Amino acid sequence: MIAREVLAAYLDDTLSDVETAQVEQALRQHETLRRQLRGLLQERDRGEHSVGAVWRRNRLSCPSREQLGNYLLGVLEPGPHDYVEFHLRTIGCAFCQANLSDLEAQQQENTPQVQERRKRVFHSSAGLLRKK
Amino acid sequence: MTTDSDRLLVQQIRQCDARAWEHLIARYEGRLFAFVHRRIKDLAACEDIVQETFIGFYTSLPNYDDRRELQTYLFTIASHKITDYLRRTGRHPLQNASEGPNDLLHLKLDDQPAASSVARSHERQVLESDAVARALGQLLDAWREQGDHERIKVMELLLVKGWANKDVAKFVGISEQQVANIRFAAVKKISEHVKGAGLSPDVFPELHSQ
Ligand SMILES: [Zn+2]
Repeated sequence: MIAREVLAAYLDDTLSDVETAQVEQALRQHETLRRQLRGLLQERDRGEHSVGAVWRRNRLSCPSREQLGNYLLGVLEPGPHDYVEFHLRTIGCAFCQANLSDLEAQQQENTPQVQERRKRVFHSSAGLLRKK
Repeated sequence: MTTDSDRLLVQQIRQCDARAWEHLIARYEGRLFAFVHRRIKDLAACEDIVQETFIGFYTSLPNYDDRRELQTYLFTIASHKITDYLRRTGRHPLQNASEGPNDLLHLKLDDQPAASSVARSHERQVLESDAVARALGQLLDAWREQGDHERIKVMELLLVKGWANKDVAKFVGISEQQVANIRFAAVKKISEHVKGAGLSPDVFPELHSQ
């Protein structure tokens, strides 16, 4: 079954794709789990919070982007290397996984598609800065 | 912590510097895209959501506090845009739930507690969260400095993943008693810090036992 804290992490949208899919499938299948989720939402509505949620939202243990880059290059000391691996794989931090795939893509040089995509984002939003 | 380079970028964007805006996109578009793609497989939809995220950031700029980490802030906006998208396309699992699904979804989306049911003020909740974040941050810094990654792992599994002591013990390769001791010491430190800030640790379920 899904741990309560994982359900809370699902609400915070900090789970990996794999875990998110697991939670969503379980939610569709089990009324008890939906009830638990409703309970969690009501607790939040009353202003109750948890240390786990504070940790996740503030990304308190996330390695820096630089550390993730060094992890990819394999140049971290064994202790930090092992920890980064744990944070990515066992904790499955969605933010750090996103950073890692971005860094991996960069290592293979920016593909023309990515450059084009970025240009489109810029052109669709740059007008905002002139409107004032 | 926001880096100096991010802070400068935000300052320049506030002055409507289009080049700074381009830099911001170059810096963050890739990781935001990967973050969105984790939930949504349609590439065109991902691109739209990333665009909405940047536009959302720009419109919320007057309210953005420079002390907040820019990356975390952008991820939070992206996360809201993902939920909006899933709701729009009728693919949010809470919409399929049998009873009052939309009410549930609204609770999550609006993030604004109903006035009648607020037990404590929003301001106070922010103070409480900040106090816990500070205390935890200090603990984590100290452990990192000592190279004590085992302690970080134990606390992260307990608090972030909600694992039971015995599972953490097995995973890390220490005794259950050692896990319990690590938890006890950390909870004590955090509780003291929260009390020191003139707040009650009792609002955090994990700190109840102290
Ligand atoms: Zn992380």
